[in-house]
Amino acid sequence: MKISTLTISLLVTVSVFSQKSENLIPKAAASVFSINNVSLLQKISLDELIKYEFMEEVQAELFDGSTTGKTLKDSGIDFNQKLNVFYGKTENYEVAGLSFGVTNKEALFDVFDDFTPSYSDYSNVEFYESYFSRIAIEENSGVLFRVTPTNSTVDLITDSIWQAQGNEPHSYSYRSDFLFDQAEVEAVETEVFIDGVEVEDYPVAEETPSIKTYYELRDSIETGLSIQYLSTVCDEVFVDGQNLVNSSPAFAEQLTHTSEGVFFLDNSKGLKNSEFSYLKNIYPTLYSNIEALYTGNLILGDLVINDNSVEMQLNAQYGDELGSIYSKLSGAKFDKNVLKYIHKDNLAYFTYRVNLREAYEQAYDIIIPLLSEEEDLGISAQLLVVELMNEFLNKDAIFDTYKGSVFGTFNGIQKVKTNKITYHYDEETFEYTEEEVEAEADMPIFTLGFSTDRSDIPTRILELIAKLTDECHNEGAYWEIDRAVLDAAPLYILIQNDLFILTNDENLVKQNANGFGKEAISKKEAKAARKSGIVYGYADLGLAIGSLPRDIFSASENELIDVLRDKSGRITLNSTNSSQSNTSFNLIYDFDAQGDSDKYILDLINSMYILSK
Amino acid sequence: MKVLVRFFAFTFLLMLSGCIEIIDDLSFNDDGSGTFKYNINLSSSKIKLNSILALDSLDGKKIPSVDELSQKIKTSVAFFKKNAGISAVSVESNFTDFTFKLQCDFASLEDLQRAIRTFIREETKSPLMPELKHDWLSYSGSQFIRSVPLITTKKISEIKFEDRELLKQGTYTSITRFDTEIEDFSNPNGKLSKSKKAMMSRANMYALIQNPNLIDNRINLVKLN
Repeated sequence: MKISTLTISLLVTVSVFSQKSENLIPKAAASVFSINNVSLLQKISLDELIKYEFMEEVQAELFDGSTTGKTLKDSGIDFNQKLNVFYGKTENYEVAGLSFGVTNKEALFDVFDDFTPSYSDYSNVEFYESYFSRIAIEENSGVLFRVTPTNSTVDLITDSIWQAQGNEPHSYSYRSDFLFDQAEVEAVETEVFIDGVEVEDYPVAEETPSIKTYYELRDSIETGLSIQYLSTVCDEVFVDGQNLVNSSPAFAEQLTHTSEGVFFLDNSKGLKNSEFSYLKNIYPTLYSNIEALYTGNLILGDLVINDNSVEMQLNAQYGDELGSIYSKLSGAKFDKNVLKYIHKDNLAYFTYRVNLREAYEQAYDIIIPLLSEEEDLGISAQLLVVELMNEFLNKDAIFDTYKGSVFGTFNGIQKVKTNKITYHYDEETFEYTEEEVEAEADMPIFTLGFSTDRSDIPTRILELIAKLTDECHNEGAYWEIDRAVLDAAPLYILIQNDLFILTNDENLVKQNANGFGKEAISKKEAKAARKSGIVYGYADLGLAIGSLPRDIFSASENELIDVLRDKSGRITLNSTNSSQSNTSFNLIYDFDAQGDSDKYILDLINSMYILSK
Repeated sequence: MKVLVRFFAFTFLLMLSGCIEIIDDLSFNDDGSGTFKYNINLSSSKIKLNSILALDSLDGKKIPSVDELSQKIKTSVAFFKKNAGISAVSVESNFTDFTFKLQCDFASLEDLQRAIRTFIREETKSPLMPELKHDWLSYSGSQFIRSVPLITTKKISEIKFEDRELLKQGTYTSITRFDTEIEDFSNPNGKLSKSKKAMMSRANMYALIQNPNLIDNRINLVKLN
């Protein structure tokens, strides 16, 4: 009995006090994706796993063949610990990586074979390094991470030293074909001073090895800062025991969830290090007020795997002041009329309902005082304009015309009539003349509409436009603007049932101006949309996403879209109404494939990672 | 609004056929001079082009506005006019139907080819460009030889692999007219006009990049006494 009690006590002690992978997440992390059920990923090959964007920190090390034919199971990773992917950015540095449990170091470094042991300043912590990253192992947990100084910090210090040495301010000559025609860009000449004497060009190391060029100086500073910030992060984690778990109660609570995966996004950290951070020096009071407004702004989530679906449960949390605006937005009554205009075969649609008037009044009451505290004259002038507009404009007319509730549908691709030029050849001489002939082109069919109590206002605007141009004309039940869509197809405007609808769906305006009737979405779907909070959305992925061309998107957008490309299934999004403290969203991803849930969850984690960066 | 524009743009790009029609039209006089016309007809793809023009950038490249394109065409034509042996240069740009026509008179085939080479090298900022080193037009005695410039097939072949299927709907038409009648010609797909003074060869763009010699032609003219 004593022995078994002792054994149990030891086991409890070990499980409570032994290192856990989540304790190696730096407190600077602003986004974390934590997979609880790592065993889900056992079967996925490492080659496949490391292709995901969220594994980018290890890609440089692993895309060298060391993962060939191996799975996560072969990599010495402990499946009883969480696998945590994290990213964070402070004013001075970025930190990214993943932490995990370790069962077999030998197997681990068979995979991470570019890492070699390095000196450790920290007792009980082993360090390994490669060209790009480090691995630190404490007890049975490891963290693979990279700490990089931000460009702005490196530039700031480099410029400061550069100019203190007597040099002129350095000018960057960013060049790219994106912005400039190559021939039109003239070389930027920068005068360089050494000891106060102007020299004709930058000194190069070969000529004057003791003097660094601007870029050599910058490289040195970047290296020095990398070491400094690496120490900062390691001291916090391994000496002071500071990590995200003990610095964020919300994250710690999230980790107690038993869902397959959890995620954590701290938007307030994102704000501090975003483009808004420049406000800090220019408008310190305003920045401080905005910072306070965003305090406590978190998105917490759970990923739940069911038989044929993955569910993402999101909870957006915010402070009282932002909460008061969001909760006012939620006051809108659902306009049932929109449901009539959503066809049951639409590939994707959404409804969105907010009370813009209430939210405007609340936002005005909160934001105007924040702006008023700022002493900058420019801000004060703009504030005066806003206050005068608020007094003089007829807000009843504005918010009765556009109340804030919107719906949209995508109805696939249909043929529309257009024209093209062809040539008629004279058989005698092969001289030719141009002919304009009718042609057909594929056109995405969309509908976008919003609720209005003042349909007379858009009608008056359309009547005026019709007087100005023949291309806008009234066709009785609807208005038509010729060739308004990409100079080829007509755009229809329907003002009916207290809705203002823009569409290129000829069938809708000519045959179904009062709605699709029995062809509209089912009562079940209509009820789901009606019962949802501020937003409801549905998309048939296989049909709606599959045809999106890559060319039109940026690389990061494509990464996001690629997650959904070639997937069958349906996505449904619904939400609660916003309360003073939070709004919940639920995204359900139903798919037909059996046994692929591990890949689907990785896809979703990857999407969230890309979005959060 | 920008969201809508993007919505259209991305939806169009894959679904619309990338039809392009080129007419390479040469009228050759007995004295070696002539008139060259080059027509590009993109009207079948105008929705796609309008959707692209509505964007700021595509595939990482800035999309110029119609005004910028018009200005660029004017500058290019002004440069083309400066070439010796080239005269009566005119260009018509129609950004509604997306048709573009260049026409010029030339004193000799050499002048025409030199002008085109100089023009392309200037436009591409590539002084070497081996694809331009060959003559694609030549005349000796009563034989006229013409082919499609390698630079044309090279540029078409640079179209991304996944879009090449669309090229099957595009056509390249080569027309050659003479003052005198044609006695015979080598291209089995060539067509002789009723007057017997003009030849036409046509191929789809896809076939042309598979076989750049597809519409090459060796045309023998009736010898004048």
